[in-house]
Amino acid sequence: MKSTLKREEKESCSCSRSTKPSHSEASVNLSLSLTFHSTSPNRERRQDWPPVKARLRDTLKGRRLVHRGDESSLFVKVYMEGAPIGRKLDLCAFSGYESLLENLSHMFDTSIICGNRDRKHHVLTYQDKDGDWMMVGDIPWE
Amino acid sequence: MYLRLPSKVLERILFFIDSNDDRNSVSLVCKSWFETERLTRKRVFVGNCYAVTPAAVVRRFPKMRSLTLKGKPHFADYNLVPDGWGGYAWPWIEALAAKNPLLEEIRLKRMVVTDECLEMIAASFKNFKSLVLTSCEGFSTDGIAAIASTCRSLRELELRECIVDDLGGDWLSYFPETSTSLVSLDFSCLDSEVKFSDLERLVSRCRNLKSLKLNRAVTLDGLESLLRRAPQLTELGTGSFSDELSPEALSKLSKAISACKQLKSLSGLWDVLPEYLPALYSVCPGLTSLNLSYATVRMTDLVDLLRRCKKLQKLWVMDLIEDKGLQAVATCCKELRELRVFPSEPDLEEPNVALTEQGLVFISEGCQKLESVLYFCVQFTNAALITIARNRPSIKRFRLCVIEPFAPDYKTQEPLDQGFKAIAMGCKDLQRLSVSGLLTDKAFEYIGKHAKNLGMLSIAFAGDSDLMLHHLLSGCKKLRKLEIRDCPFGDTALLENAWKLETMRSLWMSSCFVSFGACKLLSQKMPRLNVEVIDEMYPPETRPESSPVERIYIYRTLAGPRLDMPEFVWTIHKNPEIGVSHLAIK
Repeated sequence: MKSTLKREEKESCSCSRSTKPSHSEASVNLSLSLTFHSTSPNRERRQDWPPVKARLRDTLKGRRLVHRGDESSLFVKVYMEGAPIGRKLDLCAFSGYESLLENLSHMFDTSIICGNRDRKHHVLTYQDKDGDWMMVGDIPWE
Repeated sequence: MYLRLPSKVLERILFFIDSNDDRNSVSLVCKSWFETERLTRKRVFVGNCYAVTPAAVVRRFPKMRSLTLKGKPHFADYNLVPDGWGGYAWPWIEALAAKNPLLEEIRLKRMVVTDECLEMIAASFKNFKSLVLTSCEGFSTDGIAAIASTCRSLRELELRECIVDDLGGDWLSYFPETSTSLVSLDFSCLDSEVKFSDLERLVSRCRNLKSLKLNRAVTLDGLESLLRRAPQLTELGTGSFSDELSPEALSKLSKAISACKQLKSLSGLWDVLPEYLPALYSVCPGLTSLNLSYATVRMTDLVDLLRRCKKLQKLWVMDLIEDKGLQAVATCCKELRELRVFPSEPDLEEPNVALTEQGLVFISEGCQKLESVLYFCVQFTNAALITIARNRPSIKRFRLCVIEPFAPDYKTQEPLDQGFKAIAMGCKDLQRLSVSGLLTDKAFEYIGKHAKNLGMLSIAFAGDSDLMLHHLLSGCKKLRKLEIRDCPFGDTALLENAWKLETMRSLWMSSCFVSFGACKLLSQKMPRLNVEVIDEMYPPETRPESSPVERIYIYRTLAGPRLDMPEFVWTIHKNPEIGVSHLAIK
């Protein structure tokens, strides 16, 4: 562990340490949780961190629940080989494979195809519920 | 023999002095200067409504025409102050109504304002011109209706990010047909639809209207009609920007927007559809301020818009702009003074968009006039901070929010101490700083020593020990406001540097290790401070002395103990038997 941080242990507080998996083995994420907090520090539901004003937070929340015409949204994360940052998008926002590919190509600044691997292009694949990697485009869009 | 400056001459000189800092200095010279100054001050600013009584302020400044007040601590914006804490406008309005009927302007921030307050304002001040409420709550649209209907010379009515009990859009219809004085109207925080024909007529007859900020309920068709009637606008907040428009309607809207040749500031743009952005292109070259915080639009569309805004000075945008977009902004917007980048997905744990520290580095390289930064980012590096400080020593306000608490420099795994050291040392005019990420006590040693002009500092999830607080309180000569949350210390540094707290406006600490015992000691030691223990598990005496309290809010005051404390706020005055040597009693 590269960083050493001292924490004073006080009677009525508990400190919990958790390691977050990351690229470097030496990284450690220490989280301090004080027992008298009435709300649990569950990150997903925190209203006080990060420090974003209520109005903006509410507007963003509303957005995530945006209902498209077919009343659903399906968010997936797409990773490109070699890039650490994945991009999130709503599959229901697209009308078909073509518009999906067009958008992805734009997002990742590369050309993407469904189909046989070609040295010049990236190929779009997905992992099905059995964990197998499948080529996108084999089954109908709907 | 000594010469005395006749007070008439001093009065004449003071006529030219607007700055309250300067006037405060003038007041300290001697008694007669104090007298002359107080009788000529028109605009009064009170940074903490509990620092002084309304009666004292009203008595001191009989010629006051404008009062600005701030109530709740800043962290109230992030839900850290429980409801009912305080910050009531009523005692101030009451005192003013009784003694200062010529009052023209009231500006309140983070205060509780009731309909009674608004009705009192409407009834008491015949010349009332300007009401600006920022982040206030406690009133309904009925109160606004009272202002609209009664204030004959109303020039400004601005509700900025207020929480209003919205009983409907009727309030707007209360502006009499004869009222033509409006210069600025901001109802962007209200939800209900106003009666559009009344809005149209209001806008048509107020020929001096310069600033109009609509709420989300106003449609694009409505916007087009309003703009046609008010092409003289300099500031516009649109309503929702996503209705379905036919090509003809879009073209009409475009035309109406382009007729606003003096437009400098644009905001609103809720849910703006990318295909509608070109309607704004015509006004881009003149824009100095653009608020895109509600526009979830992709980087390429943002860049197409921003590259036309060559005069832009203030930009608020979502992180959807990405590093690439900021690089474009750095190239095109050479006049940029202020940049705010907000997180589009604040609750996500991993980076979701391609916005990194590099984006801010680009801006620091390209925008020579950059002064003010607010940047939300998932992670950061020391190298970036050092580069930014080197590129832009002109930065006066630097707020970096690394979203992941305790996140180190992600390339070196070191704390961000060196980076913030560079900011503190390099940006000599730094007035406001928010730090985040992994920070040890060292970072605060640097800040304490080098940030000579720092007035306001915000800290979250940082530091190791009391040393951190000690460095800050014994350094930072000009520190006025310090707010700290989730840091593991408190007692020792607080008690050792108690004297410093009287030189500051306020100190806020929440989720730290400040014990009730220390709060009592501090209260006893420093009678001119209000040491508030804000703890929803009240009263604090039922717990052991050493147990930490949820929150403390300490501020200097001439007003003595608050008379409006709720149950969950404790000060030593609630337990006088504890023994306070000199209670400040007015």
